[in-house]
Amino acid sequence: MKRTRAQSIRLYLGVAAVCGILIFPIYWLFITALSTTLELKSLPPTFWPDPPQWQTFAKVAEERPILLWLANSTIAALGSVVLSMFVSILAGYSLSRFRVRGGNSLGLFILTAKMLPATLLVIPLFSIFRSVGLIGSIWSLIIAHSTLIIPFTTWMLKGYFDTIPKELEQAAMVDGCSPLGAMVRVILPVSAPGLAATSLYAFVLSWADYAYARTFLTNSQNNWTANLGITTMRGEYVTDWNEIAAVSVFVAIPIVIIYLFLERYLVGGLTAGAEK
Amino acid sequence: MANISIRDVHKSYGTENVLKTFSLEIGDGEFVVLVGPSGCGKSTILKIIAGLEPASGGQVYLGDRDVTDSAPGDRDVAMVFQNYALYPHLTVRQNIGFGLKMRGMTAREIERRVIDAARILAVDRYLDRRPKDLSGGQRQRVALGRAIVREPQAFLMDEPLSNLDAKLRVHMRAEIGALHKRIGVTTVYVTHDQTEAMTMADRIVILRDGEIQQIADPDTMFQKPVNLFVAGFIGSPGMNFLRASATEMDGSPAIEILGMKVSCKNRNLGSASKLIAGIRPEHFNVGGGEFSVNLRSTLVESLGSEKYVYFDVGNDLIDRSSDLDEEFSKGLIARIGQQGRLNEGEVIPLSFSLENLYFFDAETEKVIS
Ligand SMILES: Nc1ncnc2c1ncn2[C@@H]1O[C@H](COP(=O)(O)OP(=O)(O)OP(=O)(O)O)[C@@H](O)[C@H]1O
Ligand SMILES: [Mg+2]
Repeated sequence: MKRTRAQSIRLYLGVAAVCGILIFPIYWLFITALSTTLELKSLPPTFWPDPPQWQTFAKVAEERPILLWLANSTIAALGSVVLSMFVSILAGYSLSRFRVRGGNSLGLFILTAKMLPATLLVIPLFSIFRSVGLIGSIWSLIIAHSTLIIPFTTWMLKGYFDTIPKELEQAAMVDGCSPLGAMVRVILPVSAPGLAATSLYAFVLSWADYAYARTFLTNSQNNWTANLGITTMRGEYVTDWNEIAAVSVFVAIPIVIIYLFLERYLVGGLTAGAEK
Repeated sequence: MANISIRDVHKSYGTENVLKTFSLEIGDGEFVVLVGPSGCGKSTILKIIAGLEPASGGQVYLGDRDVTDSAPGDRDVAMVFQNYALYPHLTVRQNIGFGLKMRGMTAREIERRVIDAARILAVDRYLDRRPKDLSGGQRQRVALGRAIVREPQAFLMDEPLSNLDAKLRVHMRAEIGALHKRIGVTTVYVTHDQTEAMTMADRIVILRDGEIQQIADPDTMFQKPVNLFVAGFIGSPGMNFLRASATEMDGSPAIEILGMKVSCKNRNLGSASKLIAGIRPEHFNVGGGEFSVNLRSTLVESLGSEKYVYFDVGNDLIDRSSDLDEEFSKGLIARIGQQGRLNEGEVIPLSFSLENLYFFDAETEKVIS
């Protein structure tokens, strides 16, 4: 289908508008970090600070254990990714391949766990973690986040595995693989886009959490995740929005890196050529 | 290489019995074709031989090894799938070498054998491509290459040509035949195309609803079908089936067919009174003969060297198209070799002889001979 010139222009205008809406908050966060508190209160607002206050980044990094917070967030997020992917790959694969009575409704039933609000689970999780002595430990976050992630990723991976012809692993088994070997050597590489998407979902969900971190990581500031750290920067009388913005930029950077790393796997069509 | 012995294998899914007792002895180096309409259990028996599906009962022997409970990888068979099932994330070289790698062969040995196999199948120019960058025929060859490189005890092929266009199919058919002659590995080949079965097989096994109908070499299958199903399945275009009944004429047995009564002194007509007479389209002649009848043609299809002429004989013809997985019946069909004009709507004097008629019991559908 060929587009006319007018159609192309309209298309590009539409894309530009959407990009503008999506990018504006990021831009705003960035210039907030570079402005002085005075500039932030001026009306009309300034769209580029003069001069840009780059030293704010250095200042927040000195005053607060930001690197430690980021490290904690990273450990929690990577831990959640590893734990939840391990469970949901095996669960999703089983649901997709093994015919069990009620297997289909089981898949949907797992998803209903996702419909419970996260805050509803905070109280039972808290009492469980307290009784096993995990309060204050990063493990509490890894486990709690995984309980939120696993239902959705299991369901998503089942859907992905369903699209892969089962002859692929049958061929691998005839070629000498065990059933588990066929999954690891053939099905998982072919599922890279699905695995990348679900890992990303898991990482972002854990990274963005505040409620669980607030509840389970009560003690010292050294245990905090970055999100928890940011919220403590709101003062009772004054709030330095430029400093909060500067820390937020630090927090956003790992997500950007993860996206760039996983992007090449997020393209579909990896099974192309398997058949016919 | 080895012989394959399938003894009393059967298979049910839940209450559905998809494979009734199946026994077959396949000789070393033999090319056996399993053929039958869709859903008759061809893939099921192949997967049982490969070890991809457990049998509900019975044994499978490869050579003198009982492999009934062995894992697929321990059976030393290679399989070519209907949809090829190439590993999309691996190159052609890695696809072909995968099975060797799994068996712990050295990299040098793998490379040597992959290149040998790729040469035989003329895919050695594409070794570094991925399956998605190959044409259908090339993918088909890679799938074959993955099987032959292993030098297995047996090849199992599940409709390997069904995804190719007609011309390539004929070409690959010949290539698989030549390959089998060259390396002589015992092969079980599944198809629902009777032409493929007739041209490639040492022996054909016809299956219907999970039940073996007949096991025979192609010529016997064609000349001596044991029942109505086999008679209708083998041959293209298929045999015509006409309602017939046993009667008497001048005190000796006779047959009534298409409104004619003809004496059949020297033929056994069995004891049934309701019969089905079968006649192949090529056994009709234009002009006089033992049985002759004037029929008005409804359709003439010219193929150049010969013509397919169709006649509407109403209820006398038994329509078996649904049973055979075909589109629909266009009527009684005669295959006329002679040149000259035959027009649609013209009355044509057709004849055929008693020796070319097959008789089946209308009740049991078994042949009467
Ligand atoms: N996993 C399964 N569960 C239940 N029934 C099955 C299963 N697999 C196959 N069947 C049934 O077994 C019968 C035989 O299937 P099979 O795949 O062997 O047929 P086929 O002869 O290979 O047909 P086609 O020519 O269409 O490939 C079919 O009726 C099918 O519906
Ligand atoms: Mg099949």
